[in-house]
Amino acid sequence: MGILGGIMKKKLDIPYIILFLIVSMGAVIMFIPYLWMVLSSLKGNHEILSGATNIFPQKITFEGYKTVLNDAPFIRWLINSLISSTLITLATLFTSALAGYIFAKFKFRGQKLSFILILATMMVPFQVIMIPRYLIVSDLGLINNLFALIVPNLISGFGIFLAKQFIEAIPNDLIEAARIDGAGEFRTFWSLILPQIKPALSAVGIFTFMAAWNDYLWPLIVLNDLNKMTVPLALVFFNGQHLVNYNVVMSAGVLIMIPVVIVFLVFQRQFIKGMTMTGMK
Amino acid sequence: MSSIPESTGTKTAIEIKGGKKRTQTQIKVQNRFIFFSLTPIMIVFIVFSAIPIVWGLVLSFYQYNPLQEHSPFIGLRNYMDLLKDDVFIKSFWNTFKFVIIAVPANIAITLMIAIGVNRIRNNMFRNLFRTIYFLPCIAPLAGSAVVWSTMFNKDTGLFNVLLNFLHMPGVDWLTDPSLAMYSVIAMTLWADMGFNIVLFMAGLDSIPKMFYEAAELDGANPWKRFWNITVPLLSRTTLFVTIMTCLAYFQMFPQFQILTNGEPQNETRVLALNIYDHAFTYMNMGYASAIASVLFVIILIITIIQLKLGKSQWEY
Repeated sequence: MGILGGIMKKKLDIPYIILFLIVSMGAVIMFIPYLWMVLSSLKGNHEILSGATNIFPQKITFEGYKTVLNDAPFIRWLINSLISSTLITLATLFTSALAGYIFAKFKFRGQKLSFILILATMMVPFQVIMIPRYLIVSDLGLINNLFALIVPNLISGFGIFLAKQFIEAIPNDLIEAARIDGAGEFRTFWSLILPQIKPALSAVGIFTFMAAWNDYLWPLIVLNDLNKMTVPLALVFFNGQHLVNYNVVMSAGVLIMIPVVIVFLVFQRQFIKGMTMTGMK
Repeated sequence: MSSIPESTGTKTAIEIKGGKKRTQTQIKVQNRFIFFSLTPIMIVFIVFSAIPIVWGLVLSFYQYNPLQEHSPFIGLRNYMDLLKDDVFIKSFWNTFKFVIIAVPANIAITLMIAIGVNRIRNNMFRNLFRTIYFLPCIAPLAGSAVVWSTMFNKDTGLFNVLLNFLHMPGVDWLTDPSLAMYSVIAMTLWADMGFNIVLFMAGLDSIPKMFYEAAELDGANPWKRFWNITVPLLSRTTLFVTIMTCLAYFQMFPQFQILTNGEPQNETRVLALNIYDHAFTYMNMGYASAIASVLFVIILIITIIQLKLGKSQWEY
């Protein structure tokens, strides 16, 4: 059984073995930066300062990790990222489904126009939006506030579009039946529509969370207080402070990657399904 | 059925008995639902997306600096200045250079990897490879750039340590003007290939196996099978992937700021970085908006191309 068994059965399929080796080599190359990050994070301060050029640490220490956890508000950064990303994701799921429902199943004046407007803004580069958005956010007094990250991202054009596509496929009779049964409009939305579009919502949720968690440019513009920073921004800022002892920065990198990788491995299937589903639409 | 008292009785009673006929009250209820649900959403949308777009385009006709008291309307002056601004012109061409090299490289490599991984017969290994190739995509680009900046380090970085190990001289990966852009491209490809690999793998899965079987029976070699079956039948996926990668790469920012910050000699200064610096380092927001509008036009053209091409026949 297994890969070797598969090869043996075919009487040493040489091209297949070569292919397998090439693909494995590519995978190893892809993995090198992670290996480098982990190995560097285990180097000692002294070793780094001496300018040694070994790839593997001479002596494994956790000095880098200690520095990150003791001298930097690392947990604070994680909490900031977690709060803003979670709130953005929950809000986006709700507003996408609600707006998608209304655009798909109701008729009102200005409906087409507002939907086209939402779609059209999706393609505008963020560089055009960011300057006025910064001015608006600073007028609202939200600079250096996590709400500066959250409020503009409460809605998503992509989410509304995807939800609308899925809700259009729900038969009108089903909705009419719920109304006849006496369900209010919001009840119909909450207990009939939402469960029907779970696949779309899980895709929107995963992408929204990832985009919010990984975002760098917008936090860079609106946050400059060390205690308010989110993880990617803090890592870059931290890197600027510890250019020499990069073991510290790499330790922070490892600590940040661990939860991300775990979450990814758990949701991998939904993730890839969501990508291909939305990508091929 | 028709004698429902509209003015008396409770609302719910009318809704229940009203059946499919939408009564006056029902329409009122629905309108209220639409109004209360959509208004907050549209307000957020208008305040943080619609207004900024219009404002951003308008701002490009002003000399706007939030630290100065006066911000006069200067017409097309910002745009005229752009034509004389060597750094802008350089950043414009740098952006195209980056896209023209990185996008085809990305497409070619991801397509090859996708085909390779798709041919792995063992399910477990296939999924493992896909996961490893995809892993860099879930990390923040900014974090990956930080890791790569230590790998590119002249003295202690991985690449030069390996070169020295092979008795070769180290290379100035990020400070050599003729090399810096390629170093950034290498990092970008590593960080960003996974998305396209997954999309290509899904595209390959959707090609019916019988085409390949028939071609094999006809004696077509693998090369012919690739060009005559895979390439044409994958064209829809390829178009989508190419356009999306183009759109993303024209707006790339974190790695340029973190790895090189536009240096050396502005060789890696791209439009996105130029806009950021003018807007938030020099606070020339009017001028920055003019550059942003240029980027907007580029993106607009690509989107129109996509819409045009997407309409043609692709079915098989």
